[in-house]
Amino acid sequence: MSVISQTKQRYDNLTIKQKEVYLGYALILPSVLLVAITLVYPLLYNFYLSFTEVPLTPAESPEWIGLENYMTLISDPDFLVALRNTFIFTLFSDIGATVIGLGVALLFTKEFFGRRLARGVVLLPYIAPLIASAFVWQWIWDPTYGVGQFFFADLLGLYDSGTDLRNSLTMVIVFESWRYFPFAFLLILARLQSIPDELYEAAKVDGASRWARFRDITLPELKYVIATVFLIRWIWNFNVFADVWLFTRDVPVLGVFVYQTGFNQFEQGIAAATSMIMLVFLMLFVAIYVTWVIEW
Amino acid sequence: MIGLLMAAVRESIQTTKSVFSGAFRQSQIESTLFDRLVLYGCVGLTLFFVLFPFYWMVVTSIIPSTELYRLPPAVIPTEFTFDHFREIMDAQVPFYIYFFNSFVVAVISSAMAVGISIFGAYSFARLEYPGRAFMVRGVLLSYMIAGILMVVPIFQIVVWLGLVDTLTSVVLTHFIFTIPLGLYLLGNYFRSIPKEIEEAGLIDGYSRVEVLLRITIPMSVPAIVAVFLYSFLLSWNEYLYASIFLNTQELYTLPIGIEFLQFEFDDVWGEIMAASMLTTIPVVIMFLYLEKYMMAGLSFGSMD
Repeated sequence: MSVISQTKQRYDNLTIKQKEVYLGYALILPSVLLVAITLVYPLLYNFYLSFTEVPLTPAESPEWIGLENYMTLISDPDFLVALRNTFIFTLFSDIGATVIGLGVALLFTKEFFGRRLARGVVLLPYIAPLIASAFVWQWIWDPTYGVGQFFFADLLGLYDSGTDLRNSLTMVIVFESWRYFPFAFLLILARLQSIPDELYEAAKVDGASRWARFRDITLPELKYVIATVFLIRWIWNFNVFADVWLFTRDVPVLGVFVYQTGFNQFEQGIAAATSMIMLVFLMLFVAIYVTWVIEW
Repeated sequence: MIGLLMAAVRESIQTTKSVFSGAFRQSQIESTLFDRLVLYGCVGLTLFFVLFPFYWMVVTSIIPSTELYRLPPAVIPTEFTFDHFREIMDAQVPFYIYFFNSFVVAVISSAMAVGISIFGAYSFARLEYPGRAFMVRGVLLSYMIAGILMVVPIFQIVVWLGLVDTLTSVVLTHFIFTIPLGLYLLGNYFRSIPKEIEEAGLIDGYSRVEVLLRITIPMSVPAIVAVFLYSFLLSWNEYLYASIFLNTQELYTLPIGIEFLQFEFDDVWGEIMAASMLTTIPVVIMFLYLEKYMMAGLSFGSMD
């Protein structure tokens, strides 16, 4: 009997339950292997590389230098600036996107002409390719011919003509809030629509003011979804790279710092160490957030 | 911790599904004229905030450069031209090459991601074996791991494989980065199909694999389309890995190609906006036709 038919024989003798187990492994194996090879292995390899000096030519192997990369980072003012920028950026663009999303979602609970169409339109910033959005924002805030600059600086005099707002952390935060508020909008609107009307009507009969109805009915119902949106956006804002990099080269966040150290200066060991620090901060935040900040 | 995160993501996707299907809830609370004015004012402001950048993109791409670089800006254009489009098509590396590259990368990587995650997701959703819960959590953990956290090791691996400056390396990274999402969305969908339907198939003598191919997959077309679209968008947008892997201009995908236009032209905004518009149009068309399929992916939280 050949090996194949022996195996087949053995497989046929299995109970259905056992077959399911084998099939389960067989079907998941490719995915898990790929994810392991490309997520778990790189993470471990990154951990190792962060303690080495990575040579420019791939033929040489990385040289173990212990904690030196981390030491370099802690005393590098550029890194500290990037760290600070990342926290400010993450916090405020998260708040920005969530608050605008909440406001627009509340607006869409009212009836108005063209609401169905408008609901799709509002999602545009979120689905449009990043490269297009980032560049059009750059062009709008161009310090010489930008239309935003013309309107806000030349016409309204809100800031000095010729100032390049694009280099400011604030503008990056505004851009990111613009791009991601539809995500918050989408999730919050879904939740809003499931709050029964009767609650509001009863409150109105009882003489509750508009603000009281919002505070005592809407907000408690939205607590969970807002907390979720905030968490998800935090994770992605903290890991931001392309959104900031394509909008401006002058606002270093950690993602940009990794890219520049790793692929402009080819200090890949230091870049790997920076990634590790980012990962630790991120895990810490998520752990603290889900344990203490919100009770699910 | 991961369980909680998972619950959060699942909740968000489920609540969102309902928004775009079905009509709006009708508000019964009557309003005054003043309320209506404020409402329409706010709606107008919101739409302006959302749409103006896109309006400006279109205008910039179709007015001549002389109109572009003047003050006050031509907010309502009077002269039109297709010069910017012509120029990016006549450039040394014509723009449609980037378009073609991006399309090929996105289609191949999404098709592979869908193909492999169908089987994995079925395994997660329907089959029972030791270690499954652990693997489900492991896959979801990868939700927190963005590309930037692994850019150095993955670059090293690609160098080691000798795949630098090939589209293969880009296809592979996009493919693998979308597997977790595919496993997750499809797994949830498979779980929502009544077990009885599959059991009836088993009783009729189908094997598990036949059940999957003949019953589950045909019933899950919406979810499969959703996963495909989402991976397509991710790949269409992806900048980081494409930019570190590719050096040859002929191989550039759209994001890097558009970025490169900056160095190719002077007074470049007309050309860049023309290119940006061409990049945006397919996505918007997809959205218009397949809106309901896209919701599940959009509520997953990231478009990078």
